[in-house]
Amino acid sequence: MTAGIPRFTEAESVTEQQTDTDQQAEAPGPESAADFEGGDRLSTAPRPESSLAVPRLGTWELLRWMWRQLTSMRIALTLLFLLSVAAIPGSLLPQREIDPSKVLQFYLAHKTWAPILDKLQLFDVFESVWFGAIYCLLFISLVGCILPRSLAHFRAMRGRPPAAPRNLKRLPVHASFRTAAPAEQALAAAQKRLKGRRFRTVTGADAGGTWVSAEKGYLRETGNLIFHLALLGILVAVAIGHFFGFKGARLVTEGNQFCDTVAGYDNLTMGQLVGPEDLPPFCIHLDKFTASYQDSGDQMGQPRTFDAYTTYYATPTSKPKKVDVRVNDPITVNGTNVFLEGHGYAPVVTVKDGTGQVVYDGPVTFLGIDANFTSSGSIKVPDAKPKGLGFQGYLLPTAVTVPGSMPASVFPAAQNPVLILAAYAGDLSMDAGESQSVYTLDTSHMTRLQVKDKTNPAGGNALMLSVGQSATLPSGLGSITFDGVKQWAQFNIAYDPGQPIALGSAAFAVLGLVGSLGIRRRRIWVRVSEQGDGTRLIEVAGLARTEGATPTTEVTEAAETLAAQLTVAPSGSAPEERVPEERDPAEPGPAENDKQQRKSTPRTGASA
Amino acid sequence: MINENLAHYSNLFIALALVAYAFAFFAYCAEWAFGSRSRIGAKAGAVGRSDAAVAGASAAAGEHTTVSVGSSGVSVLTRTAQEEAEPTIAGDSVRAEIGGRFAVLATFIGFGLHAAGVVSRGLAVHRVPWANMYEFSCAAALAMAFAYVVLLTTGRKVRWLGLPVTFIVLLTLGLAYTVLYTDAEELVPALHSYWLYIHVTAAVLSTGAFGVATVATMLYMLKAAAEEGKLPRLHGVLERVPSSGMLDRTAYRVIAFIFPLWTFAVIAGAIWAEKAWGRYWGWDPKETWSFIVWVIYAAYLHARATHGWKGRAAAWIALLAFLCVMFNYFGVNTLLTGHHSYAGL
Ligand code: HEM
Repeated sequence: MTAGIPRFTEAESVTEQQTDTDQQAEAPGPESAADFEGGDRLSTAPRPESSLAVPRLGTWELLRWMWRQLTSMRIALTLLFLLSVAAIPGSLLPQREIDPSKVLQFYLAHKTWAPILDKLQLFDVFESVWFGAIYCLLFISLVGCILPRSLAHFRAMRGRPPAAPRNLKRLPVHASFRTAAPAEQALAAAQKRLKGRRFRTVTGADAGGTWVSAEKGYLRETGNLIFHLALLGILVAVAIGHFFGFKGARLVTEGNQFCDTVAGYDNLTMGQLVGPEDLPPFCIHLDKFTASYQDSGDQMGQPRTFDAYTTYYATPTSKPKKVDVRVNDPITVNGTNVFLEGHGYAPVVTVKDGTGQVVYDGPVTFLGIDANFTSSGSIKVPDAKPKGLGFQGYLLPTAVTVPGSMPASVFPAAQNPVLILAAYAGDLSMDAGESQSVYTLDTSHMTRLQVKDKTNPAGGNALMLSVGQSATLPSGLGSITFDGVKQWAQFNIAYDPGQPIALGSAAFAVLGLVGSLGIRRRRIWVRVSEQGDGTRLIEVAGLARTEGATPTTEVTEAAETLAAQLTVAPSGSAPEERVPEERDPAEPGPAENDKQQRKSTPRTGASA
Repeated sequence: MINENLAHYSNLFIALALVAYAFAFFAYCAEWAFGSRSRIGAKAGAVGRSDAAVAGASAAAGEHTTVSVGSSGVSVLTRTAQEEAEPTIAGDSVRAEIGGRFAVLATFIGFGLHAAGVVSRGLAVHRVPWANMYEFSCAAALAMAFAYVVLLTTGRKVRWLGLPVTFIVLLTLGLAYTVLYTDAEELVPALHSYWLYIHVTAAVLSTGAFGVATVATMLYMLKAAAEEGKLPRLHGVLERVPSSGMLDRTAYRVIAFIFPLWTFAVIAGAIWAEKAWGRYWGWDPKETWSFIVWVIYAAYLHARATHGWKGRAAAWIALLAFLCVMFNYFGVNTLLTGHHSYAGL
């Protein structure tokens, strides 16, 4: 079994193969399996391992043994399972790659568990060593499996269909008739018929007479190989994207502009082989952002349209172009795609400090936190005199105040925006080196200011401003004015040169799969044998090489067509009695034969 | 704009379809309950496995050797499992047969109403009617009913599928109508894409077909156990279910047929993700679970081709895979947060 291609594999695709094994065991002699299969296996799948016991062998043999294990179907199956199990935590636990802030939250909520999970790389499942190990092994196994199979298939494609077995009656479907036509004519007609049906045919002769052997459906294995190769193609595409691509995100407020430089991004991930100079030099200006929402029914508040009206410059010197970027409708600038990913509100405020100087004037981005777009954020004015000022709070796009409780937003559009802010004074700790989130205030060195609005006792110690309103801070620290609301849009910028390869591979994978699962591979034999009384017995028989492909109709029709062409010899006996009469005299008797039939198709129930 | 009238009719059709399916379900139940052991089954049972001589031409259970002689003098010998030889649920009982026929009729009526409900919903909202969980559930149930109806009309003896199929369709549709229901509305911007048509259609069809395969797999497990002499209390009923081999084959064929479509659905999803979010694969929970489903069905197909894994082991894999399909739908949509949030839930 070590040299050459093993005959029977655990990865057999055909149930009838077992039939062959049994036949071989029960009827040894010239009709060996090699005859039967013409030297090629029913499946070109990898060799089996009869046992998992490690043989006592030298290093070379051990390596070979390991390689064979790795490329066996059983291991492929195990690895596929492992891969699916390994992916599960990636969907249940927050992932850094997808949303780092969620990981942070998880850390805060599970102080003991989080570091352990982190050690196990469970927050980076898809970049983890163990996930990588599984898919690397799987793909090594795949290569080890595919290459020999491709070679074997290539040989099978160029080789000839196997010689006809001696006793065609043993095959799952068998049709026969007698004719007075000459053997050559019968054989030629049979071959013509099968060729016409695009079978690959070969003729031959042996002690039993002359035969045609035909096979069809090679594309099944071709499809299977293409499918597995295409999976490799997808892996290559992912690797290319990983090394040569980049992706980043940038939040742009209406009236502002973003340029594609490393400094221009809020966050940017570049492949190892990409440098800052590789970023295409385009700029995008957000002129206006509009959103519309369902305003009635049980889906009230659901978004209906988003439009980011932008002006972009493909290069700093090129002519400006106006585009409406929408979800599902990115713009492509020099091969780089710009997607509309998110949106939100940016309240515009003016802050004056204790000296009366305007220390801040402009929009501040707030993040939406619920379906009605209640947005949270902070306003930081570290340079205010005499003390640094900071505000932390919420923007309610459509605020409704029920007497006695805090106002709340009831609709995502900015129909009645209200800003609710807690005010702080002191050191904002912005020079501490550690980078701060722009949405939260570090109040550890600040004091909360008393700004309680006496007209609204439920409001708590917070400023509540509608558009146009101002509030004066206590102790002459300054004032704040809510001037209005702008919207911002978040753009994702992505470049992935592996994409066309991934797409092509995926297309081949589907095509290959359709071929692999849809094409039936089967063999048909026709045997012409002299009957001594001047007539010839024509037998047609078929065998499936893939599950459920027994060519019953094909065999029956071929026999009927041939019979019509070759004008059947008159038969004296009743049809029922003819069957035993036609049996090979060398065959065991009917009872035994039945037993053998049963044995030879032990799993017919599960096959054919 | 939404056509409120049509949307209203759509709801009515779905409600009527539920009623028709319920009738079908009870009629199938009657067929199973009244059905009696057919003569073929009784004989095969009496012959058992040891007494080969008596079995004669029909040899072992499930295997069938036929000899037929055509007009042109051709005698054909087939030694394949014959679907014609399979028992039927009704067996010899006339009452059961009537129940079964009535059930099929009710199934067809239910399917017609169901289809009318889904189509009118689509016409009411001017788009494909599978953009939120209510619509998706209606459509997947329709796909499943469709798979069964197609098998029926091609003249196959698949009435045994009727009971479990109507049960699942009834369950899915009922859940959709009572819990998941949302009014007919326009789409959220994230779904404004022709990929909704391609990707979700493929996903709906695959889900429905995987459901049918799962029914066959579960029956296979029961029948295989019964054939081994286990489950004595269910023996009477299971005897009239097709042979385990046939059930196993049915499950395999459906999965092998639909797996390429599921592969395509995942790929179409990836293309859409690229267009919408700028990356074709980002391990979003929906993507992750679709991947898991895909890998497990691939494992199933591998298992079918691996010695020692055929039969029951492979069947367990298929059941596990469908469990993942269900989790991917209900679990991921309701428990996990990701990019794939359906409007209305
Ligand atoms: C990347 C992981 C893999 C995936 C997703 C995968 C998927 C598939 C699928 C879906 C089929 C079904 C096609 C059919 O039944 O004709 C299949 C068949 C097959 N695969 Fe894989 N495969 C993978 C890796 C492997 C490996 C590593 C091996 C080698 C050990 C292998 C060997 C085979 C063989 C021999 C068949 C043909 C089975 C038959 O004749 O029915 N595959 N594969």
